[in-house]
Amino acid sequence: MTPVTIGADCGRTLEELSDYLHTGSSPDAEHVHNCPQCQAGLAALRRLDDLTAELIALDILQAGRGDEPWLQNILDHLRLETRAGRAIPLAGAHPDDDLSETEGAVIALIRTVGDTLPGATIGKCWLHGDLTSAGAPVTLHLNVTAFWGHPVPGLARALRSTLSDALALHTELNITAIDIAVTDLVEDAAATPERIGT
Amino acid sequence: MTGPGKAPRRLDAASDALLAERAGDGDTAAFEALARRHGPLMRAYARRLTGSLADADDAVQEALVRCWSQLPALRDPAAVRGWMMRITARCAINVLRRRKYDIALDEETRDDPGPGPESRAVTGSSMTALGKALGRLPEAQRQCWVLRKMGGQSCEEIARTLGISTESVRGRLARAQATLIKEMEAWR
Repeated sequence: MTPVTIGADCGRTLEELSDYLHTGSSPDAEHVHNCPQCQAGLAALRRLDDLTAELIALDILQAGRGDEPWLQNILDHLRLETRAGRAIPLAGAHPDDDLSETEGAVIALIRTVGDTLPGATIGKCWLHGDLTSAGAPVTLHLNVTAFWGHPVPGLARALRSTLSDALALHTELNITAIDIAVTDLVEDAAATPERIGT
Repeated sequence: MTGPGKAPRRLDAASDALLAERAGDGDTAAFEALARRHGPLMRAYARRLTGSLADADDAVQEALVRCWSQLPALRDPAAVRGWMMRITARCAINVLRRRKYDIALDEETRDDPGPGPESRAVTGSSMTALGKALGRLPEAQRQCWVLRKMGGQSCEEIARTLGISTESVRGRLARAQATLIKEMEAWR
């Protein structure tokens, strides 16, 4: 391939100038500083960078918003496999019954119940222990995003008691501990609806 | 897809990391919130890579399915946006490869060189001209350029995405840049 040169006398390639522009260093910096052809080349490269940024911004604008039908249409046609996880045995009314619930369903329950508390959004959840043996000790670990203005110790207490009530009602897990990690502190989304957009 | 049709409002304001964690755990509402947030960028990116809006939507759809199935393995949930963009790029390239037998790559006339009819208001601007010049580049060069500038990929990443050598990437980027600079200077 023939390198693209800026001008007949100078001999520096556009690629070399581009590397200089984007890395800030060149073995040839002194020449570049003093060469009018190189300076013109750098100016053109900067213009192209600026125009490219504008074009990308326009492209994204023209792609449509995420709450418009084109995306909803794509989402409606996705077939997303469910994340079942392990099977948790349940005692049946009859000895012959073979009942179980999935780990995924329990984690969904934890999210749904946890989200009802005003101060937090539930993040990732882990059930540690042998879920597939009835009565085996299980610990729940969850990441939580807390909202400003809700004292964390009280929030953790409320979350623990709400979750252990819900888990006792809807599962037969032997939950021995609920570990809560507050991984983020944010402004309460519900309290600032103007930031949401629609 | 299954699950609630509308994500709770709180999810629309949640951080990328939280949404990625929840989606990784199987929360389809969190996944939809991620898709709504980054879908326009994915579509714009795929449109420039494929040169067609219909292909872009195919690529976005394929990318979202892959994102969903690979989310549980995502190591850094805060970096989910760049990760979704990389998956989108791979899917866009795949969509193009599937129809490469129909059309010789570099001679292809673009059916959608970029900005749509709604952009007529800015026709004549340098930006629009750049979009057109980009659409006229040989496809191999345009892909490298778009992966670099829109996707922020390094030459090594582009080489992996396209399955070509890093030297070829550098060569294509240099030729694309030279052509675009030459055209751009002509508009001035």
